[in-house]
Formats: sequence, C-alpha cells, structure tokens
Amino acid sequence: MTLLASFAHEDAALDAARALREKGVAGVDLYSPIPLHGAEEALGLGKSLVRVFTLLGGILGAIGGFTLCVWTATRFILPTAGRPVITLPPYLLITYESTILLGTLMTLLGFFVVARLPAWRDRTYRASSNVDRFVISVAGPGAAEAEDILRAAGAESIERESAS
Amino acid sequence: MSATRELMFDHGQPSYSEVNNDVINALTTTTWRYWVTLVISAGTALLFFVAPWIYQIIVGVGAAGMNRNAMWGTYLSNFIFWIGLSHSGTLLSAVLHITQSDWRKSIYRSAEAMTLFSLMTAAMFVMVHVGRVWFVHWTFPFPNPMELWPNFRSPLMFDVMAILTYLTASSVFIYMGSLPDFAAVRDRSTGLRRRIYAVMCFGWRGTAHEWHTLGWAYTFFAVLVIPLAVSVHSIVSWDFAMSTVPGLHHTIFAPYFVCGAIYSGTAGIVTVMWMLRKFMGFGRYIGQLHIDNLSKLLLVLSLIWTYINICENFSGWYSGTSFEYEAILYRVWEGPFWWLYWEMILFCAVVPLVLFSRRIRTNWNVMLVISILINIGMLTERFVIVASSLPRKFLPDVFGTYFPSLVEISITVGSFAIFTTLFLLFVKIFPAVSIYEVKETLNPLRKREAHT
Repeated sequence: MTLLASFAHEDAALDAARALREKGVAGVDLYSPIPLHGAEEALGLGKSLVRVFTLLGGILGAIGGFTLCVWTATRFILPTAGRPVITLPPYLLITYESTILLGTLMTLLGFFVVARLPAWRDRTYRASSNVDRFVISVAGPGAAEAEDILRAAGAESIERESAS
Repeated sequence: MSATRELMFDHGQPSYSEVNNDVINALTTTTWRYWVTLVISAGTALLFFVAPWIYQIIVGVGAAGMNRNAMWGTYLSNFIFWIGLSHSGTLLSAVLHITQSDWRKSIYRSAEAMTLFSLMTAAMFVMVHVGRVWFVHWTFPFPNPMELWPNFRSPLMFDVMAILTYLTASSVFIYMGSLPDFAAVRDRSTGLRRRIYAVMCFGWRGTAHEWHTLGWAYTFFAVLVIPLAVSVHSIVSWDFAMSTVPGLHHTIFAPYFVCGAIYSGTAGIVTVMWMLRKFMGFGRYIGQLHIDNLSKLLLVLSLIWTYINICENFSGWYSGTSFEYEAILYRVWEGPFWWLYWEMILFCAVVPLVLFSRRIRTNWNVMLVISILINIGMLTERFVIVASSLPRKFLPDVFGTYFPSLVEISITVGSFAIFTTLFLLFVKIFPAVSIYEVKETLNPLRKREAHT
C-alpha cells in the first residue's frame, strides 16, 4: 500500500518529510513542481553520482580525442614542410572538443542511470504535483504510522493507493 | 530578492497553475494564422533553398560562382553568420544559470532553441558549399576501405569537431532542461499527444531524487557548454585567420568573432522575444526587466565590437606591410563593397549607442528595429570579411571580384525561411517558456513568512 499526502505549501511538505525521516520511516518520496531547496537535506540526498560520470567522460574524451589524432596521423605518415607528425596545438584543440563531447554524453548517461529513467511504466504519481501541489508518498510498511505525521504537518488530503 | 521578483513581471505575478495554463495553451491551441505562416515559410524554404540547391547539385558549383578566383563567398559568410547567431542562446543561458540570474528563466528556452536552429541552418550551408554533398561523411574519422583519415591539423577539421560537439551539447542542454515541462504537457493532454509526451519526458515524475539528479546534470551541462561555445566561434575564425591572406590573418580574429557572435546572437534573442510576445502571448512573462538587461548586454557588446574593429584597422595600418594596408584600404574605401563596410559600422557601432537611453532600452518596438539593424550589420560584416579579402590575395594574377550569384542570393533568403520554419515547429513541440523555472521565480508557496 502506498500513502499519498498532498500539501499546498512547500515548507509544510518539507517539514513532513523531515519528520518522517526523523521517525525512521522508509520508502518516502517527495514530488514537487519545482526543485525544492532543502529537499536534499530533508530526504538525505547527498552529492549526486552524476559527477563521477562527468569526470569519467571528460577523461575518456581527452584520452580518446588525442589518441585518435595521433593514431590516425601515424597510420600513413605524410611529412609536411618538416613539421612534426604529432603536432600538439591542433591536436589539443581536437582533444578539447572531444573532452566536452564525451563529458556531455557521459553526464547524460549518468543522469539516466542515477535518476533511473526512462521509466515508461505506470508508477505512483499525481499530476497535480507538477502544477502547484507538493505530494509526499510513503510506500511499504511505514505507511500506517506515517499517516498521523502527515496529517499533523498539514496535509490537505491523504489518499491510499493499493500496490498494483 | 523579492524586489527583483516583482520586477520580473510587468503585470503582476501569475499563480503556479496559471503558468501551466498559459504556457501549455500557447503550445496546444493553434490558430489558422499559425498554419498559414508555417506553410508560407516552409514553401519559401523549399522554393528558395532546396530548389536552387538541387539545381546547383545538378549543374555543379559553378552555379554558385565557384569558377572564379574568389571561391569563398556568400555561403561561407552566411555560415559564419548563422553560427554566430547560435552563440548567444546557449552561452547566455549557461552563464546566467551558473551565476543564478533569475531573469534568464523565462527567456532561456527560446534562446536555446534559436541556438539549435541557427546551428542547423549553418550546418546546411556547409553542405551547400562543399559541392559534392554525398561525400560529406568523409570529414568524419571512420574506418574505411581507402584507409584514409581526416587531417586533424586543418582548421576545417576543428570546425567539424566543434560544430558536432556544439550541436550535440546544445541539443542535450535544451532537451534535458525541458524534461519536467514535457511531463507537464503530458499531464494536461489526452490521446496521441499524451502518449508522445509520455515518451518524450522519459516518465518524469518530479521526485526529489529526480530533481536532485537533474540539477547536478544540468549544472554540468552548463559548465561544459560555456567553454565549448567560446571555442566554436574561435575555431570558425581560424578557418580564416590561419590562412595567410591579408585582411584575414589577424590574431584578434578569435575574440573578434566570438564577440561579434554573441552580439548578433543577443540581437537575435531580442527579435525572437518580440515575436514571442506579439504572436504567442508571452508578454506576461517577458517584460521590461528582460529587454532592459538584454539591451544593456547589446550595448556592452557593441562597444567591445567597435573597439576590436578599431584595433583591427589600426594594427593593419601600423604593421606597415603593404599587403595588410592595401587589404584594409580595399575593404573600407577602394573595393566594390566599401559602402557595405560603412553600413555595418553604422548599424553595429553607431546605432547601438542610442541604448544609453533607458527609455529606448525598455521600448520593445524600438528594440525590435535596432536588433534587426544589428543583425543586418552583422550579416554584412561577415560578407565584407570574406568578399573583400579572398579575392585580393598577394599577386594580381589571383585577383578577382566577388559578387554573389542568383543561386547564392536565393539560398541566403531561403536559409531565413528554414530557420523560421524550424522555430515555428519548435513553439508547437516545446513549451517555449520554461514552466518550472518561471515558477521558481514566483513567490514561493510557503505557509511561514520567507526569512530571507
């Protein structure tokens, strides 16, 4: 069973989330129309793992871009005007671009992995939470004791959704 | 904080649900005028861009005048123009995101769309210019039976990498910023549209975890896209500056191009914002504060641009080499395009000086005229750079005069139609004003008084 409490005010919703966290209730989620400052702390979200993906992407891109230039230039050596075959300034430009390209793509991948998207299946969701309501859902065994806390925090309405 | 919140909206703050209604209604309700405009602009694009291009492919690039000593002409200058126009949107959006400027939030989506579509138009010009467009994939490094690899020392290869990266990064940037708004459209619509947007938003629900992740990812996109945008036009400038042609071989070219790009892009944003206010009814969200800030930016950029122009001419004169000096003389006085040079100075250096007046800065209609003049000036700037340098290389036997052929003129006109068509499609697919970010600029829905 999932409990869904709807709030009209963001601070009330954050208070409720914080209270649930203090009581040690598991399976709490907060849906909001805008990113809420303080939601990280209220739900105990730390630094996102996305940054690891970005770093990896950047490093991969830098190594990959430079290697690509050097490798292709040494496949068929074409000396031009006595210049070195491995010319750093232009190759570093390519490296710069590929660092950003791979960094962006890996950040994108990181977003999907960390946010667990795409999820094109039916999941607990209230459309009002993308307009002007802040919804807290409590899934699993914690739902029973959560109801009182949510009501005390000033929930407008509380619904139950049986697990499908 | 609250003072700027009040300034953001000319006609009072909308409520949260009004933001959803306004933006999504502008997306879903389509009048016959929209369809007429779309048909006209798509028709113009077909007639003026696609048809002459097909003609050029059939008869060869001689149709575009590429059988004289001046090979680079309008195609290249338009390519720089469109890339330049693309510079402001994503760059401005990313910079203002990092600096947490709230006024960005109602204009950035359309500004980024402008970036994306002008970049696509610019890429079209590469295709048109190369002649044998079916070999365009040879610019990419891929294993092939000929065992040939592109020469990464060429500025044209830098261009391929830079534009490919820029196109990818700015598409990702605008799409990921729109995810929550796609979800909002999904929730409001039914039938096929609902299913399409359900797929497009990847099942976004707006949980704290999703917002948290998006916030991190979005900031990384912004941080990555800023150095990228600066590099793209620098690299475009090196297509020219790394040749030893007098009039192009300047070290100042990279900052000159980047500054000019942001300049024309910002003017383009003003034009697009005027259109959004006039035809999409976003006057409630895009107001005095936005036009004032954009105009101040235009003013600063016009001063930098003027300064760089003076530097360029001064260093050409001061260098004492006859080639440089003659190239400048040819550009500003002796050549056939001297009047275009002075037109560009008038529109890009003199006219913007009126922006010192606050009354002009906050007048949308006057700003529309000024922004269009600036972009006409910037279009001719690129033309003057290309058409007054390359036909005048060192020896008289490579001299030529450049004048655009009918095919080139027609494709230039058509490129504006392509951009317009893409933008018209955009406003019916993407919410043109960011719903969730406008909500962030409203007074927060709090029970307790804000303790800021």
